[in-house]
Amino acid sequence: MADRRTRGMTGSDLSRTTAARATAIAEQLHYECSILLELYRTKESFTAEVTVADGRLVSVPPPSSQLDTRDKLWRLHSALLQCRSLLERAIAKEEEELGGGMKGDYETQRRMVKERLSLLLINTGELLKAVDGTAVLTPDLEGLELDGPTILFELKLWVYRIFKEVDYWTKTAITTLQSLPMVIAKERAVTTRRARSTRSTRR
Amino acid sequence: MPRLSFSPNSKPDCSPVWLICILLCLSGVHTHETVSVMANQVSGLHQFTWTSAEPLECTSLSVKIRSRDGQTTSEWSNTEILQGNDIPSNEKFQIYPIDKTVPVGSNTTFCCIVEEGKVFDTILYNGAVINTTRLSRRSYASTVVNQGPSQSSGFNIICYNSQKELAGTVLFVGYPPLPTDFVCETHDLTSVVCQWNDTRNTLYGKRGTRYSLNNRYCSRQRKQCILSQWEGNFTLVAVNPLGHYSLTDSAKLSHRVRPVAPTIQNSVVQAWNATVQWQWEYSTYNNWALVCQAELTCHGSKTTHTFSGVGLHSVFLSDLYPDEDYSVKIRCGAQENFWKWGNWSEPYDFKTRTYAPDAPDVWVWMNKDYTGQVIWKPLTRRQSHGQITGYEVTLLIENGQHTDIFSPDTTAAPVNLTQIAASSSGSMIIATVVAKNTDWLSQPTSVVIPLRSTDVEPQAVPRAVFVDGGFPLFWQSDANTTFGYVVEWNDAFCTQNCPVEWIKVAAGNTNVTVESANFQQGVRYNFSLYSCSSEAPELLQRWQGYMHELVPSSSVLLSTSQQGSDVLLTWGEIPLVNHRGFLLGYNIYNSTGSDLKLLADWLILEILVSLGITAVFLAIVTLVCYKKRECIIHIVEKPEWDSSKEALVVIPEEDEDEDEQGMGDEPVDTDEPTSLRYYNQVVDDRPIRPRFPDSSASSASSLDSGRTDVTYTGIQTSGSSFVFQLDPQGSSEGHQPHADLPVSCGGGGGGYQPQMQNRALSDDMGLDSPKPFEPQAASSGGYKPQSSWHLDSPVEARESGDLAPCLGSPTSVASTQFLLPDGDEHTEEKRQVPSAAANWFTSLLSSTKP
Repeated sequence: MADRRTRGMTGSDLSRTTAARATAIAEQLHYECSILLELYRTKESFTAEVTVADGRLVSVPPPSSQLDTRDKLWRLHSALLQCRSLLERAIAKEEEELGGGMKGDYETQRRMVKERLSLLLINTGELLKAVDGTAVLTPDLEGLELDGPTILFELKLWVYRIFKEVDYWTKTAITTLQSLPMVIAKERAVTTRRARSTRSTRR
Repeated sequence: MPRLSFSPNSKPDCSPVWLICILLCLSGVHTHETVSVMANQVSGLHQFTWTSAEPLECTSLSVKIRSRDGQTTSEWSNTEILQGNDIPSNEKFQIYPIDKTVPVGSNTTFCCIVEEGKVFDTILYNGAVINTTRLSRRSYASTVVNQGPSQSSGFNIICYNSQKELAGTVLFVGYPPLPTDFVCETHDLTSVVCQWNDTRNTLYGKRGTRYSLNNRYCSRQRKQCILSQWEGNFTLVAVNPLGHYSLTDSAKLSHRVRPVAPTIQNSVVQAWNATVQWQWEYSTYNNWALVCQAELTCHGSKTTHTFSGVGLHSVFLSDLYPDEDYSVKIRCGAQENFWKWGNWSEPYDFKTRTYAPDAPDVWVWMNKDYTGQVIWKPLTRRQSHGQITGYEVTLLIENGQHTDIFSPDTTAAPVNLTQIAASSSGSMIIATVVAKNTDWLSQPTSVVIPLRSTDVEPQAVPRAVFVDGGFPLFWQSDANTTFGYVVEWNDAFCTQNCPVEWIKVAAGNTNVTVESANFQQGVRYNFSLYSCSSEAPELLQRWQGYMHELVPSSSVLLSTSQQGSDVLLTWGEIPLVNHRGFLLGYNIYNSTGSDLKLLADWLILEILVSLGITAVFLAIVTLVCYKKRECIIHIVEKPEWDSSKEALVVIPEEDEDEDEQGMGDEPVDTDEPTSLRYYNQVVDDRPIRPRFPDSSASSASSLDSGRTDVTYTGIQTSGSSFVFQLDPQGSSEGHQPHADLPVSCGGGGGGYQPQMQNRALSDDMGLDSPKPFEPQAASSGGYKPQSSWHLDSPVEARESGDLAPCLGSPTSVASTQFLLPDGDEHTEEKRQVPSAAANWFTSLLSSTKP
């Protein structure tokens, strides 16, 4: 128990720091996403009337107040992982179909968002480890539509939708991460009680 | 474009004229074509292809056909219908064409098929709304003409319905491929690298141009293709959705060798040279005749050296400087059948070794008291050949030697030979200077110091004139000069341990132009020419000159004493250092109310030289000052003028008593009779009127003083002395400088112009248009002070009106303020002239009027 308490306190401090860092990264990513979206709209002459389908590309369990911190983090981390996969695919498809020209601000911003998203994922992964105490498993990406449309205009809308998806989950990440620091300690206590209760029940 | 093919099945022998009617469904647009179609010889069928402006998916088409033979026309055939995608069974929201690529300048028609039950709104082409026409119930078309090139991701064409739902397509507008500058070469003497340009490329991604070289595909990322073996003939084919283009190149391998950049490995560096070695990436170079360039950079300065040889892999770089940082890079080409230079190697840096410094340039300055200093010029970086650590100065005396070490920033070593001079029987001492750097000693430089001064001061010191940034000096060749000459210069009024500069001149030369950044205006310089031999340097000649003459920096202190009806004016001399130019004489003015009258030009003045005090004895003038502060001049005696006599107006500078002034060793302007004579000839005989040149040449201090009328004339001659012969008849044109004078000032008109900047003077005086030596318009009228003339008090101002007040003492002097012509030209004539001398003066005035 003593050993666990020590680790728990260390983990809590770590979590707070990591959560703060992850929040800052998410806020920066959100800002960069907004720039990327604006650059894309400009590049493709997309007016405000150009809208994308309402449905999400990322598939995660629905949000619920019943979710504990670990599950919220897991949901966020999973969504961000899918976002990264989609973003990488979108970039590859864009390059394949339309790339080869001069690289400009759009391409630079696109790469920046991808790298920032990866950094955010590293931090959410650390948070998960801190909360869960176990190694983070890679969420299952099966079923994620990574091929993209074959018709170019549909492909462009798909890319646009992916950028918006990243933007959406970045905003979600900010909200989720900002709510974490105060909750983590409580959750750990609850988790500990549950563990005790489970052990005593098994006995 | 969408194409529709028809095959009218008919008898082969029928008339070849066919009428074809195509109806664009529901739009009411008919297209009639009358065509002559020959039958296919094999199948016997007639075939005609019709191209639609609209994509065939846009709406359904109906086609019928009939033949005409002369006046006979057949019935229409059955109508064939090509269904469009706007049929009710296809309810989707669609737009056509999809992902099409067209050439720049072409026209494209788009159509939008709205969903069943929805209402069409607009079509946007690259963000802009374009006009549409309705083709069918659900189909709407727009045509864009003369399209410009699209961006890399193409133009977006978006169709909206009334609910702002959209369908879109992408159109790429570009050019067919047009590669240029296709050329193949080899770097390794085996494989082939072909390169080209395609500056007109506007299609990217999957629509980008694909290249193949001799039927092998090339990378799309770089305009370059590599083949493993030289094939002699090369064909580049460029293909994109809009067309293809071919280029060929043929050459022998040996004519297309462009070596790779060498990799410099090491260097063997000496003080004055270095060997740089490199390696080749390919061993095939070992037997190949190469020509290589080495670009050497030192302190930003680049030099290129060329070398050649079989399998060249090192170069010897000579003519380097010791202790210098160098950077070298190498590139090579084929020596035979040169094609192109290869790329430069990466720069390779090295530093040359140190070496013995150059021997320092040494000279000696001796004072009169057997003290002095051995001086040398600091070595430049290029002369030092390493960091200078000090100088060794050795005095070789007959009984031994004495060595001192001096720091690197020292350029003079004091010597005191007082004791040696008293005890030594020898006549000279040798000073030797050696420069030391971190590793080496320079060759010694020696200079002989004379123990007994044998220099004889030249009697006449000619002027050195500053021309084009320097003082050109000329002299007669000296037979005793074996080691050349030294021209030394310094401030002429410096006597002890003077800062001195010098230049060495080869023995065969008899002239040099002395230039120095240290020359200053208003400073008189001595230029001394020494001959160098195994003995002590011997003074051959001396010059004096100003880089730029200035007005004296101080005025004289004037005093008077009355001796009966005479007034004796006396004044002290201007200190030599304040001359700031060659002093030519003094003007004496008499203040009479608002006028200043120049006395010195027409009165016989006697210069009394005694104890450094110059006195002017006014033999014929009595100055009487009225109690009412008005002064007039009473001339009581006509001078006994004898023009055959030497003039008494002597320029003080030449008459200074050398011994008593303690300047006996200083060259001064001579007072040789010959020169005196010339001074008299060149004097400006314009009386009374203080001319602009005179005014402008007045010393700054005299401008400030209101108590003296002795004014520097500012006239300069280039001769060694300046004595003018009074010539009442003469105009200045009749007096030319003596031909023997070393430097002529030129310009005619008599007299010489000082080396002054008119602009500066005019600035000082507030004159708008200074013409310092231009004679004023002749006027017998007096002059009045300028507005800068200060009245002593308001009362005086009232009493005198606009005129300046006369001072109370007969011997007081009003001012040297500049004079301007008075409005009353007859002021002079109104004055009473009670003496014959005055009449003579008046007639002299009249004679100078224009």
